Amino acid sequence: MGILRLSHVEVRVPDLDLAAAYYTKVLGLLEVRREPDRAYLKCWDERDHHSVVLRYHPRQGLEHMSFKVEEERDLEEFERTLEGYGCIVRRLSDGEELGQGEAIRFETPSGHEMELVHRLDRIGSVLPKTNPPPEPIGLPGIHPPRMDHLLVTAEEVGDAARFYMDVLGFRLTEQLISGDGHQIGVWMERSHTPHDLAIVSGPNGGLHHFAFWLDDWDEVRRAADILAYNGVQIDVGPTRHGITRGNTVYFFDPLGNRNEVFTGGYRPDPDFEPITWTEDQIGRAIFYYEAELNERFLTVHS
Amino acid sequence: MGILRLSHVEVRVPDLELCTAYYTEVLGLLEVEREPERVYLKCWDEYDHHSVVLRYAPRYGLEHMSYRVEHDADLEELERAVELAGVPVKRVSAGEELGQGEAVRFETPSGHLMELVHRVEKVGNLLPKTNPPPEPQGLVGIHPPRIDHVFLTVEDVDETTRFFAETLGFRLTERLVARDGHLLGSWMERSHSPHDIAFITGPNGGLHHFAFWLDDWNEVRRAADTLAYHGVKIDVGPTRHGVTRGYTIYFFDPVGNRNEVFTGGYWVDPDHEPVTWTEDEMGRAIFYYEGGLNPRFLTVHS
Repeated sequence: MGILRLSHVEVRVPDLDLAAAYYTKVLGLLEVRREPDRAYLKCWDERDHHSVVLRYHPRQGLEHMSFKVEEERDLEEFERTLEGYGCIVRRLSDGEELGQGEAIRFETPSGHEMELVHRLDRIGSVLPKTNPPPEPIGLPGIHPPRMDHLLVTAEEVGDAARFYMDVLGFRLTEQLISGDGHQIGVWMERSHTPHDLAIVSGPNGGLHHFAFWLDDWDEVRRAADILAYNGVQIDVGPTRHGITRGNTVYFFDPLGNRNEVFTGGYRPDPDFEPITWTEDQIGRAIFYYEAELNERFLTVHS
Repeated sequence: MGILRLSHVEVRVPDLELCTAYYTEVLGLLEVEREPERVYLKCWDEYDHHSVVLRYAPRYGLEHMSYRVEHDADLEELERAVELAGVPVKRVSAGEELGQGEAVRFETPSGHLMELVHRVEKVGNLLPKTNPPPEPQGLVGIHPPRIDHVFLTVEDVDETTRFFAETLGFRLTERLVARDGHLLGSWMERSHSPHDIAFITGPNGGLHHFAFWLDDWNEVRRAADTLAYHGVKIDVGPTRHGVTRGYTIYFFDPVGNRNEVFTGGYWVDPDHEPVTWTEDEMGRAIFYYEGGLNPRFLTVHS
């Protein structure tokens, strides 16, 4: 019941061909379908139709984020709850978005376009369902098995967090608290991981990054090799987060959207007591090894 | 709603002192509490009172396994479902088992004593809730962050799989099918991981192994070093499973109960289409690198 996990992000890119080349050859996603102004991509171990949509647009950034709900009737329940809260909810009919069944869309108080969906075309992972090897061989680039989470920016992190928690059922795992006691960052989950969605202070509607899962720290190191080989600008890493305990590399796609590869973390129960980070420890909270932020981390988003 | 994850195993040991030394010094679990005939242990990142109970008994093996349910109300609902399946259920009142609230117990058709519990005394992990480092320093032995799954032997895998699916809501992720079509093994989950419980053909009531989670393959290698240093008998590994895709070492505690350290796997949606392994590929299914079983795997259990 309720939200299960991140389903996809639709990302604006001013150069569709360049972005598609980067996401398929360097990140190693699979191109599922191409339309004149959109490319639909997925990771190799995902069974659903797409997890990243690149959409041509003069300015980079997040077009929308889509989360998968566990049951079809969750859509109706959320529609009612959202309308009760004062959101304007739009129904998307079956097939209106390629590869998807019915969905609902609305704008969150933090100015992000959000979608909830249940049914997706199952195109399958690249492995057979009988006697499968544990992973395919010969995929190019980083080829993460799946998408993991996204981090967005909001002017009022506390208000934004309350909406995701009270209306959409996200559970707080960690929070970063400023000296005067307000939240400057929150990490929330639905999938029993440290985060499916996180928010840090910044302009409403902003995208800080979206992240792909890797299986271990050695894969994070290998990803850094691949990024460096391809001349991709690495923002930070390989390093470790205090928050989430994850191992990470941040880097930018050719149009300026920040990507992350991520592994590690822990398994929070639904009654997990959230962890608090104080502003004086913000360096360790974000980058545990360096214990300080680079300027870009707080100022650059899309 | 329903079962959340494995909560603990209670394991019979003919030598409580020896086993306590092994589980605390080689595996690196923490001793939480001790009674004349029982020792309560937990992994460092677990919040609950215990995840392994060692109980003195002349013969080794599994005394019971306990799963945590998401809500208090789930206990009643599952109690009804189990009774409807014709299985008598015993209520265990709060505090009757150390560190636990109310629970229900019953014997599965496969002759295993199973417990369901919701409220468990929270003793906390070893880290503070404000500005925690990602892991504690100076722990001894392998010190896995948490317990992961149990693997049992049963005479009729088909029947057991049906009971766990239809009555308890477990979801089948993978299965090993004999030439004549009956199940030789099945892997089932509630926590969106490849397995929280699994079954292989063997005597009813038997324990094949219980497993601890490690964070990555390099930790599996380090665990092998720790086991070898202490002269612990390694059964198989470090290697990889075809089933679950996990990385593994099997080994025995000093009285003959099989342990495993495990990492890897994949995310499982509730509508996951199960993976099928055929008997002719059984070797690769169980040990992907070796492509064959050692005779112990099918014959030795406790």
